[in-house]
Amino acid sequence: MSYNQSALARPSSGKRRLKDLLVQRDNRVCADCNAPDPKWASANIGVFICLKCCGVHRSLGTHISKVLSVTLDEWSDDEIESMIEVGGNASANSIYEAYIPEGISKPRPDASHEQRSKFIRSKYELQEFLKPSLRIASTSKKSSLQVSLSRKIMDSFRSSTSTQKSDGMVEFIGMLKVKVLKGTKLAIRDMLSSDPYVVLTLGQQKAQTTVVKSNLNPVWNEELMLSVPQNCGPIKLQVFDYDTFSADDIMGEAEIDIQPIITSAMAFGDAGMFGNMQIGKWLKSHDNALIEDSTVNIVDGKVKQELSLKLQNVESGELELELEWMPLEQ
Amino acid sequence: MGAFISKFWFMMFPAKEYKIVVVGLDNAGKTTTLYKLHLGEVVTTHPTVGSNVEELVYKNIRFEVWDLGGQERLRTSWTTYYRGTHAVIVVIDSTDRARISLMKDELFKLLPHEDLQSAVVLVFANKKDLNDAMTPAEITDALSLHSIKNHDWHIQACSALTGDGLYDGLGWIAQHVTGKAPS
Repeated sequence: MSYNQSALARPSSGKRRLKDLLVQRDNRVCADCNAPDPKWASANIGVFICLKCCGVHRSLGTHISKVLSVTLDEWSDDEIESMIEVGGNASANSIYEAYIPEGISKPRPDASHEQRSKFIRSKYELQEFLKPSLRIASTSKKSSLQVSLSRKIMDSFRSSTSTQKSDGMVEFIGMLKVKVLKGTKLAIRDMLSSDPYVVLTLGQQKAQTTVVKSNLNPVWNEELMLSVPQNCGPIKLQVFDYDTFSADDIMGEAEIDIQPIITSAMAFGDAGMFGNMQIGKWLKSHDNALIEDSTVNIVDGKVKQELSLKLQNVESGELELELEWMPLEQ
Repeated sequence: MGAFISKFWFMMFPAKEYKIVVVGLDNAGKTTTLYKLHLGEVVTTHPTVGSNVEELVYKNIRFEVWDLGGQERLRTSWTTYYRGTHAVIVVIDSTDRARISLMKDELFKLLPHEDLQSAVVLVFANKKDLNDAMTPAEITDALSLHSIKNHDWHIQACSALTGDGLYDGLGWIAQHVTGKAPS
């Protein structure tokens, strides 16, 4: 008899704790559109949402958002526990909405399905609003999250705050393998052709490829390694024409923003645990050198990013590269 | 001759309506399936709290299709819709390997219901276009469909988004319900 009672008591107390969380102030509105009185939740992300946003979450697939009804679904202890550990909408949004770029605003409760869908996809599927550098201070004190992604992000914040304390030291957070694949339609710097090579600069580090003689469409397939410190800027890439008797001529340059690959790699932690999937994206814009959007992918347990760049400050030339992120052992 | 005319008459002017209930776990695609069949388009869906009902005409047969909410607590209310049912459509999310056994439990819970004794069972293996989708054979095994003895059953892979496979499934129902009396 007594064991019967305890078996019955447990789920109801879990349910009670979930209800307690639901009445918390920040959970009285939908995490995505601020509609009042949300009754649904994404158990793996850890947010309470309204019925309309729930419709969008369901369309993302359960690998991104697993939607449950607070009132209609049976919750497992693990699911309740992870909701509680995330701590509610405000806490989750401090991760997923850390940085909402200008021109993008949260949908309103009466937003159309399209507006809602666009925002929710950007927020959770593409994770475009994460910005770790802005959130280190505010989120590092939070208790650990059980949500796979949120947890990993938190961990990476914690480790970054701890290393920041040892001031003055440059600590590397990982290595970046840059494979310079090939160039096309490079500029002519000698009589009819050029002898191009590529130089990469990151902070104080420089790495360069070999010179390909008389070729405007050189194929290098060379791997260059760079150590990546905390809060580093972009990689500067320059193409030069090798001259035996005079100074080498510049054949164009480009900057590579490596934050997308680092942020997404850190968010996912051990890439070996995941199947092949897209985890991030560096978007083409008018002020970067990308020819097209460049995705960050997990490929056979490695975090990789392929990019094609249009060389800047030069008549012509494009360059193809592949980045691979290698985190330092923790 | 009279029988022939009568049959012909009913083919031309179907007097009878066949009732279908659509069941399945939450987010399997029941509502999307219903409205793809009804309107021919993909509607924006929210979780169905309660039910949707629409009338379809296919091969000159009139169907009354009830789409029931799939959340745990709503599943207990499925039985209230069973009366007079000619066919049960079970919609499966073919990628949801984790919960297929849950659906099997629900299926074998509903089959013995007295109101479903003469109903045929169509399993829609939905989301077949997704990468990780189980094949109909895998789903047949996972649901132990071969152990169903008292009902005609059929499994049909489909995509409620594209409509692929939906009418093949409905066609199977059309063949198997006509002439059958509801319980």
